[in-house]
Amino acid sequence: MKRTILILLLAVVFVLSGFTPGQAAKKVLHIYEAFDTEEAQYYIEAFEKETGIDVVYVRMSSGEVLARVEAESANPQASVWHAGSNTSHINAASKGLLAPYKPKTDFELSGNLRAEDWAWTGFYSGAIGFVSNTNFLKKKGVKAPTSWDDLLSPAFAKNVALAYPYTSGTAYTTYATLVQMHGLEKALDWWEKFDKQSIHQYTKSGTGCIPMVGLEEVAVGISFSHDILAKGVNKGYPVVMTFPQDGTGYEIGGLSLIKGGPEPELGKQFIDWCFTVKAQNLFQKYNRLPVNPKATVEKGSVTLDQVKLIDYNHIWAGQNKDKLVQAWRDRIGK
Amino acid sequence: MAKQGSNRQEILANLRLIWKEPLLLVSILAIFYFLLVFVVYPIFLVFKTSLIVEKQFNFSNYLAIFSKRYFYQPFLNSMILGACTAFTGTFLGFTFAYAITRTPIPFKRFFRLAATFPIISPPFIVSLAAILLFGRSGSLTPFVQKIIGEYSIYGLGGLVLVETIAYGPIAFLVLHGVLQAIDPALEEAAMDLGASRIRVFFTVTLPLAIPGIASAWLLVFIESMADFGNPMVISGDFRVLSVQAFLQITGMYDLSRGSTLAILLLAPTLTAFFIQKYWVSRKSYVTVTGKPTGATIRGVEWYIKLPAYASCFLFTGIIFLFYGMVIYGSFQTLWGVDSTLTLRNYVMMFKVGKDYIVDSLILSTLATPATGILGMFIAFLVIRKKFIGRRIMEFVSLLTFAVPGTVVGIGYILAFNQRSLMFPFILTGTAWIIVILLIFRNMPVGIQSGIAALQQIDPAIEEASSDLGADSNKTFIKITLPMIAPAFFSGLAFSFVKAMTAISAIIFVVSGRWNLITVAVLGFVDNSQYAQAAAMSLILILIVLLALGIIQMMVNRIGKGARSITVVD
Amino acid sequence: MRPDYLVLKNLVKVFGTGEKTVHAVNNVNLEVKKGELVTLLGPSGCGKTTALRMIAGFEIPTSGEILIDGEDMGATPPNRRPTTMVFQNYALFPHLTVFENIAYGLKIRRSTAQEIRRKTREIMGLVGLEGFEERSPAQLSGGQQQRVSLARSLVMEPKVLLLDEPLSNLDAKLRVSTRLQIRRIHQRVGITSVYVTHDQDEAMTLSDRVVIMHKGRIVQTGTPQEIYAYPASRFVADFIGKANFLESRVVGMASGNALELEIMGNKFTAAVQKSTFSEGERVLLVLRPESVKLEPKRPDTLTGTVREAVYLGSQMVYEVDVAKKIITVEVANPHACMVFRVGEEVTITFQEKTLHILPYEEAS
Repeated sequence: MKRTILILLLAVVFVLSGFTPGQAAKKVLHIYEAFDTEEAQYYIEAFEKETGIDVVYVRMSSGEVLARVEAESANPQASVWHAGSNTSHINAASKGLLAPYKPKTDFELSGNLRAEDWAWTGFYSGAIGFVSNTNFLKKKGVKAPTSWDDLLSPAFAKNVALAYPYTSGTAYTTYATLVQMHGLEKALDWWEKFDKQSIHQYTKSGTGCIPMVGLEEVAVGISFSHDILAKGVNKGYPVVMTFPQDGTGYEIGGLSLIKGGPEPELGKQFIDWCFTVKAQNLFQKYNRLPVNPKATVEKGSVTLDQVKLIDYNHIWAGQNKDKLVQAWRDRIGK
Repeated sequence: MAKQGSNRQEILANLRLIWKEPLLLVSILAIFYFLLVFVVYPIFLVFKTSLIVEKQFNFSNYLAIFSKRYFYQPFLNSMILGACTAFTGTFLGFTFAYAITRTPIPFKRFFRLAATFPIISPPFIVSLAAILLFGRSGSLTPFVQKIIGEYSIYGLGGLVLVETIAYGPIAFLVLHGVLQAIDPALEEAAMDLGASRIRVFFTVTLPLAIPGIASAWLLVFIESMADFGNPMVISGDFRVLSVQAFLQITGMYDLSRGSTLAILLLAPTLTAFFIQKYWVSRKSYVTVTGKPTGATIRGVEWYIKLPAYASCFLFTGIIFLFYGMVIYGSFQTLWGVDSTLTLRNYVMMFKVGKDYIVDSLILSTLATPATGILGMFIAFLVIRKKFIGRRIMEFVSLLTFAVPGTVVGIGYILAFNQRSLMFPFILTGTAWIIVILLIFRNMPVGIQSGIAALQQIDPAIEEASSDLGADSNKTFIKITLPMIAPAFFSGLAFSFVKAMTAISAIIFVVSGRWNLITVAVLGFVDNSQYAQAAAMSLILILIVLLALGIIQMMVNRIGKGARSITVVD
Repeated sequence: MRPDYLVLKNLVKVFGTGEKTVHAVNNVNLEVKKGELVTLLGPSGCGKTTALRMIAGFEIPTSGEILIDGEDMGATPPNRRPTTMVFQNYALFPHLTVFENIAYGLKIRRSTAQEIRRKTREIMGLVGLEGFEERSPAQLSGGQQQRVSLARSLVMEPKVLLLDEPLSNLDAKLRVSTRLQIRRIHQRVGITSVYVTHDQDEAMTLSDRVVIMHKGRIVQTGTPQEIYAYPASRFVADFIGKANFLESRVVGMASGNALELEIMGNKFTAAVQKSTFSEGERVLLVLRPESVKLEPKRPDTLTGTVREAVYLGSQMVYEVDVAKKIITVEVANPHACMVFRVGEEVTITFQEKTLHILPYEEAS
């Protein structure tokens, strides 16, 4: 009796340590994933089906991925960083955490969609927009905001939500956009007012404000257009999307190979796959804008040329992230 | 000279006794090692990290505490929240306990059951229910707005409401025990001498209960400060330390500042713990031996009945309302938008959420017996054996009770992210770190119930076993364990519940491969997917109830003959 | 001459530290011969139980030695000592049957199943518990539990058997019958035993020798007769049986180790075993109530007034005021002799050989 217990115990120890005999034969790719679980699952299952490679991923926001990759730099636990705005990837590249790789694509990837040394590549894009609850607008008799200063209007007092710039790529891009439009001091002045008058609360994840708007927990949220469509409009929430006419920023979704990761070859395969027409067509479901010109764009998606974009400098935003965030924290105190 | 020599001879002799039992010696050393590595070391690392800024050792974080709003604001907020909740929770717990022990209120067992419900469910379910009821699109919001106008459930008010419901039962349990143990003869004597009921209350009952009240206050304070799940859901812009520390670490990976916030969180809770354990509980005039003395209950005047009954009915009503809401919410299609009832959420749970459920069950089931046995063994060593460092062992093993989960979680990722002299394995990403975290976090539960059970046993019985030739381990296994079996199993039950509902420490150490139900629920709430959160929460509660039922059945089967006989002739 | 089997040498046990130290056992020396039953007798707090627990190994001596059959027990833990103890509350294992309780130690010793069965049955027969094998302790009466406890210790055939007030939880009649039974068992089995009690009747019934302890020290060792007839101090005299104390003075030395004493003007002669007293010395006379006779008052005698007269059936107990001191007098078979009433004046007489003389001590 004692011996059987001992054997059972040893078996449990083995399983928990992740040792699964026979697994060694099957190929496994470890990924850090910045897409939401549901969406990530959608793309990854497609990849697994097509290639037969098993993917094990950990889902975190892009800020968290950056932090994890930095912490693990001596012994990286994943090979690929999938999604998340490229500002974080840029930051990581500047810290030497990424392994440059030029993916095999059937089109030319333009210069603003990649690092100069191919440390990271962009594989989707989207502009920053506002999402507002239509019931609220009707009740209050106001129009959805169409400029940044509209957000300061007393109609939306204590009724706006977005993520912390230091936990979410979405919010950081918003902040960096304002800094690039008005300079650091003026941007912080504006934000101080914004924080005092309009903010209801900050969320952790970039898309957290969208369902909040949908449920009328808050009136207005700030997020990327594809998320607003996928998580707000298409889910059936009573929301409407607008853009600031004075200019808005946009994100490029990043993809990179982590330096020293456990499966570099499989990682490269994954990155290549992300640029294929098949993979890029998958973006239709989530209203993301593909970078492969041969891919189809979903009806209703707002393409970048339909919005007034500022000349957003991703590289600068990425490299100065720490400085900008510290300034924000010091001024806003949160 | 003689005195010094005497102590040394005794100490040496005690040591020699332990030496003669190698198994015991090894066990003691092993436990010291585990406590050092899994309890002390992580906390120490948090402290050390808070002193390292830009890879240099300095105090700048602590100097910044008073100047940087993002430090002192959360600290003040947490303290205010803690104090408010402590007052409301203790008041509620006291009136409830008074109603049950001193008035002829009907359905006592039912009320007591309802009161303990929040203890066995994950604490942030109450927040979830609050949003479903009183949020912007809450079911009761229109009615409440008619009464008090515009309001927001997010923030300090909502948090106090929610935490009072979640932690008031803890105060209730403490105060119930205290009121039960006050000798009814004292109150009867006062009445005999002419005192009215009110006078008896203010001159006899209340003064005797004050140490208990202070204890309850401190315990609720600690729980509120350490609360992570509820503030994550419902704090709005009212930032508290636990959440801020979490965001610093996982959002910015600012270990230095995150650790500082964690230390700011640790200081008040540790202080409260010390005050409670080493000062307040010593001042008790009332020894809670677990033997209810059965206070006499008389027909009571209306001015006593009214507040007491009101408190009971109100609180129980709220519990039913809240948990009922969660059940109702779980069947909705899209909360706040589409309220057609559906089973879709549960179907999704079993498809997508199946992994979370299985993981939670596996990890909790692994951790629970270890918690129980380890806790029981440490209780045995601390109470029955004499060796150097015994008091230290007791203190350290109870320490995790006072340390907020946030601090422990951060400590664990700091400690086990790389190999070190203390511990040559990397644990992050494995199941082990989760299991070990659960074991050492919940160990105080096992130890406390072990100590209580052991104190009921006549030490002569264990001495008799030793006298007849059994060494310490044999005595423990053949004599002690069977006799404390009922207490052991209830300790197991409680540990399992705590393991399944853990969130504040666990959230730091979950990884791609191993994930827990509570983390999934928080994720749903984060995305405002309230119906799914409700469904998952309900499944969790059902699992916990099932486990409790099974353990209760086992206790009933094993309980025969395990009571100590009292010699009465 | 039988050898010393159990030896306590300069045994000391101190509890507490700093200012609040208590010398529970204060320099105790004792030699117990093989097969002897020695009782440690004394009021509560005198150190007898502490001393017993040190022999068993449950307390560690502050200093001093314990030797059993020549071996120093200092480094031996309780489970390896050749001693077994009968506990005051019996300490039966509630989850085991009577048989399992008794067999417990034999199982630890790894005796064969056959041996265990044989020995256990045998001992159960000895204590009178046949047929009780499958009962659980909760189903037994106090006296039966006590016998199980005794059997459990005896079956181990220890070198020294220790008994810690084993009868104190029994009612009076049961105590009397059980202690006789213990005496009989001891005479049959012959194990060296140390018995602790505060009940002097028990001590007198069971012991080969009695050791009186007071405040951690041994004040007298001897057979029951020696202790009773020749108490070594006022404390012992007062503790064993009842005693009257009269103050007196040595007024002369008579021949053959006899002393002349004067009590309130009356002269008596008393024989002593050895004369360590000098002329003129103040002494204390110990007088047992049953040795005092009362007669109607006569002149020139020691006289007193009866203050209380209590009829107890088999005896009359008087309290007589002798010069403001109260003397207790017990008269057996009151129907056969004269009965005195309260207020009567009487003459007090006693046989000289029933007098015991101690150096003068104040009452403590």
